Amino acid sequence: MTTAETPRQIAWSRRRASIARTWQEFAGQRAALVGLILLGATVVVALLLPLISDESGLDVTKATGEPLSPPTGDFWLGTDNFGRSVLLMTVWGSRISLLVGFSAALLSVVIGTVIGITAAHFGGWVSATLLRFTDFFLVLPSLILAIALSAVLPKGVGTIIVAIGLTAWPSTARLVRAQTLTIESRPYIERSHALGGGHLHVIGKHVLPGVMPLVLANTTLVVGNAVIADATLSFLGVGDPNSVTWGLVLESALNNGAISRGAWWNVLPPGIAIVLVVLFFTLVGRGLETVLNPRLKK
Amino acid sequence: MTAPEQAAVLVDPDERRGGTGTARFVLKKILEAVISVVLVVVLFFFLFRMLPGDPVAAMTRDRVTSPQQIAELREKMGVDKPVFVQFGQYFWNLLHGDLGESRLLNNGRPVADMIGERLWPTILLVGSATILAVVIGLWLGIRAAWRRDSLFDRTQTGIALTLWSVPQFWLGLMLLVVTNGLFPSRGMHSPDAAPDVLSQTLDVLHHLVLPCVTLLAVFYAQYMLIMRSSLLGEMNADYLTTARAKGLREDLVRRRHAVPNALLPTTTLVFMQFGMVVSGAVTVEAVFSWPGLGQLTYDALHGPDLPVLQGVFTVLASAVVLMNLLAELLYRVLDPRVRTS
Amino acid sequence: MGWFLVHFQRRIGRFGRVGAVVAAATMAALPLAAPAQAQQGKVLRVALTTGIDHLNPFTAVLAASTQIGRFTYEFLTVPNAEKAEASPALAESWTPSPDKLTWTFKIRGGVKWSDGQPVTAKDAAFTFNRMLTDENARTANGNYVANFETVTAPDDTTLVIKTKTVQVNMNLLDVPIVPQHIWEPVKDLKDPKTDELAIAGVADGPYQVTEYKQNEYVKLKANKEYWRGAPKVDELQLLQFKDTEAAVNALKQGEVDVINRLNPNQFAALQGQDGITTNAAPGRRYDELAFNFGVTDSSNNPIGDGNPVLKDINVRKAITQAVDTQSLVDKVLKGLGQVGGGVVPPVYSAYHWDPSDTEKVKFDLAAANTTLEQAGYKKGPDGVRTAPGGAKLELRLTGHSNRSYDQGVAQYVSGWLKDIGITVKQDLVSDDELSDRTSTGKYDLAIGGYGTNPDPDYALSLHTCAARPSADGKGGSTDTFFCDAQYDELYKKQLTETDDAKRAGYVKQAQARLYGQFPTIVLDYQNALEAYRSDKFSGFTTQPQPKGAILEQTGYWGVYGATPAGTEATSADSGSSGTVVWIVVGAIVVVIIVVGGVVISRRNKASEDRE
Repeated sequence: MTTAETPRQIAWSRRRASIARTWQEFAGQRAALVGLILLGATVVVALLLPLISDESGLDVTKATGEPLSPPTGDFWLGTDNFGRSVLLMTVWGSRISLLVGFSAALLSVVIGTVIGITAAHFGGWVSATLLRFTDFFLVLPSLILAIALSAVLPKGVGTIIVAIGLTAWPSTARLVRAQTLTIESRPYIERSHALGGGHLHVIGKHVLPGVMPLVLANTTLVVGNAVIADATLSFLGVGDPNSVTWGLVLESALNNGAISRGAWWNVLPPGIAIVLVVLFFTLVGRGLETVLNPRLKK
Repeated sequence: MTAPEQAAVLVDPDERRGGTGTARFVLKKILEAVISVVLVVVLFFFLFRMLPGDPVAAMTRDRVTSPQQIAELREKMGVDKPVFVQFGQYFWNLLHGDLGESRLLNNGRPVADMIGERLWPTILLVGSATILAVVIGLWLGIRAAWRRDSLFDRTQTGIALTLWSVPQFWLGLMLLVVTNGLFPSRGMHSPDAAPDVLSQTLDVLHHLVLPCVTLLAVFYAQYMLIMRSSLLGEMNADYLTTARAKGLREDLVRRRHAVPNALLPTTTLVFMQFGMVVSGAVTVEAVFSWPGLGQLTYDALHGPDLPVLQGVFTVLASAVVLMNLLAELLYRVLDPRVRTS
Repeated sequence: MGWFLVHFQRRIGRFGRVGAVVAAATMAALPLAAPAQAQQGKVLRVALTTGIDHLNPFTAVLAASTQIGRFTYEFLTVPNAEKAEASPALAESWTPSPDKLTWTFKIRGGVKWSDGQPVTAKDAAFTFNRMLTDENARTANGNYVANFETVTAPDDTTLVIKTKTVQVNMNLLDVPIVPQHIWEPVKDLKDPKTDELAIAGVADGPYQVTEYKQNEYVKLKANKEYWRGAPKVDELQLLQFKDTEAAVNALKQGEVDVINRLNPNQFAALQGQDGITTNAAPGRRYDELAFNFGVTDSSNNPIGDGNPVLKDINVRKAITQAVDTQSLVDKVLKGLGQVGGGVVPPVYSAYHWDPSDTEKVKFDLAAANTTLEQAGYKKGPDGVRTAPGGAKLELRLTGHSNRSYDQGVAQYVSGWLKDIGITVKQDLVSDDELSDRTSTGKYDLAIGGYGTNPDPDYALSLHTCAARPSADGKGGSTDTFFCDAQYDELYKKQLTETDDAKRAGYVKQAQARLYGQFPTIVLDYQNALEAYRSDKFSGFTTQPQPKGAILEQTGYWGVYGATPAGTEATSADSGSSGTVVWIVVGAIVVVIIVVGGVVISRRNKASEDRE
């Protein structure tokens, strides 16, 4: 242990320093910082929601408002077709929308990372095959694949997550592969190999920590896309009817004639919520990429 | 589903600049594209076969059918045979332009016909939106890069990122409400337009405005941001310093050296991102009743009319693969660095 | 590298200039477009929100296509506008033989096809014989001829149909009669050519198809030679919309004149608007929440995968007590419908049955809880009840995913059932999958409903033992899988009873029996919601009268009766709005050209002077 501890400590302190440097660079970008703060606030609100708000307001049989009433003192953003508060629905919608966004992004990033690292690390025909495989999926229109999947699988949040997650990974795989290649060309990897480090060691100790920052940045961007994809699938009628998401709130407003009635308060809040959250994710993701992606750095 | 600028990383210049001869390169790329198209066919075939239930039972439901007819259908679709035999049959038919028959939307009509009549509206919409998005995106991207961190740069980047975050169908509906009857809300033709070519063309353009604007509003961001970042990358390159040292005026340095070099990867990306525009067309066509493949998808989803979905998706995905092939070849033709090597 | 760029830019420049020229030419032409838009006669525009599959009347099955067939072809008889009862059309009169197996139709003389040929009994005989001999000709209306023995036309004005057994609907054969001289040479009825004007454009109804742009619109012109007299509008346009919100918007803008299939909010939005009149027609359909009470096939073997707790009539009763049908009418239908009772809708008042105050299962959540409690379903700590065997009361609820009514009902039912300790999992699916599930018993609760006929026989027949399907879910016509000896007895009695009052009595008793056994809850009868531009048209004939629907009738009365209001006002209005649009478009194009031109010219100059 004692012999291994010193280099590990060095590695950790280096890593800490690098994280601090990254953070400073990141915080230097105002847009990214603002995005991060607002995004953090949104996530915190979504998590704490059961403590500060009552879910029963989402039950149509418990709705107290008049249907499609414009914003009033009681209902700041008016009510929906069944007299429920649009504010309440938009706020609660964040939970499942973000859940879908994060889970789908996680799924896609895990797949992408595994394929990306495998393609870069092992070389030979494995790499060639995986690369072709990735390229194949990269050019396929992912939304169309997602629609096909959700049309074929039973309806539910799980299906939406799988449909988005299974179709959004190729760009991550490409990115991770490129980064892995860069890392593995560094001399210390060769040293590690020479010292008898196996594949697992090299990948676990050197490659993964090296690609992680980039993967993180990528995840942020994928979450935003997943939120939009979720709303789009709901609009196309292949979403999950059981859970309140922004897509569902929008779809039900459109299905129930909210636009004809001029009930803008039914259509704008969930739409704007999507735009804002996706924008936050994009800002943070861009900020992270600028700092972390060597190719985008000047 | 890639973030705006990230796409730039997806092009690996080293791979596209192999030292092989042009003929071999072209052949290799074509072969790869063919394999991809076959994979597309396989993928969608098995995806839609995963759905439980007997396709023949589903086809004959609610209509008078004799046992003999059912037997014929079974024979034709080959449902009793092993799945790979069915696939062989499907693929063989496909090679002869037979994509099967619609069941719900247009009973018994060949899917290939339905796709054929919807193809041109989609090409018109996707094509015009792509061209406009590229022109606007590249122009704004160049401007923004030239005046990096200026008010123009920051506002334009902000607007682009915001539009990029908008769900397309929502934007379409908002435009429909906001323009309030200024543009037609449905379809591609007005039955009242005079029959002469000019009036017909103007009529189609009039109908094209809203769906086209909706599509391009979301996609131009990508082209703009890619152009901006690749131009920024080029502007620090050594050869520009050399060019400046030769006494070339700054704007000429940019225009003649930086822009074309940055233009190349961007142009290829236009083709690579074609799939996203096609995806976008699905929702936009549904909102504006545009009589294209997207609308067909939307209609078919409500059945669902699986043979139609399978056919449309196969065609769309293959089109994207082919566009990508075109991009690869174009890159080869356009990039002077490749040609001279 | 420099040469490359210059070359590239020159090319762009040239294209840019060509583009500018083209655009300028376009601009010059713009003012011409406005008058071209304005020239129109009395055009009636109908918004279609459902699809068209074929114009060929033999193969057209979708509602919109059937409707086009009604506008363009004449039938032997048509249901009249007043009461939807058989009335003369091509057939002036019809007489059954004493054994009711031979029907003789007297065909009207002097009616002409649109190509000038006379319409004779031979055309009618051809139409039915084609259906008897050609599988494809039976696609749309095959059920009408399934029982036919022979069809002959002894002369031009006489049509004789012999049937194998007594057929009750012989005076209302809902089959468009087609011209023999056009259709005889057509060998394959599935040929896409049969949808073209050369074939489908030759007809004898009030309107005649003049243009069909697939997935966009159908244009029809008035048949000036129509035997009832020419329609009062010159042209009928059917415009397809994928999004009903866009269609409503189009009605508001005056882009279309009539629209149907509105949802309650759209209807409310159009109510009281200037120049628009709304029409809420009493529905011919009942909506229901069906229970899977342990359903069986025609040989009494259980099928499907229903939750066994629903076999207990107490559970079904409790659920019925927990569903507030009044609330559904008020909140989901916004009051545009009637609260449910029997399966015959109140529009057919002679046969409609409503539970009396004592029979009625009233909405009472406390009573529903008591019912379950007494039947031994105890509430667990999580508020969900468990059956005596220990199984939780969890039910799946299915319905149409693309119908806002089903979405609304599903939410309310889930809310109420939660209050009585039953968890509901909403599982709304596509139309196709729903009919798959309901026909094979793979559901617990299903939101559904059926359109009914003036004769109560059909509505009642949906709940007889005989209507149940075979083991694979095929061949049945059942709605609820209901099978009850007492009900079947009443059903048979009404079928053979000749006294109208007595028959009505049996019909009502049968509905009461159905109600009391809880195989289903009839939730409501929705109104058909329509709206039209009353500033442009009036005189739409509804069916039935006085309160009925304008579109999707079993007839052509609605659009045939349409009368243009102020003729000048119409064209002037749309003309001016068209001009505004073109001015705006023009302005945008000008801006683009100017900006584009400036940019391009500046660049070219810059690059050229360095050469």
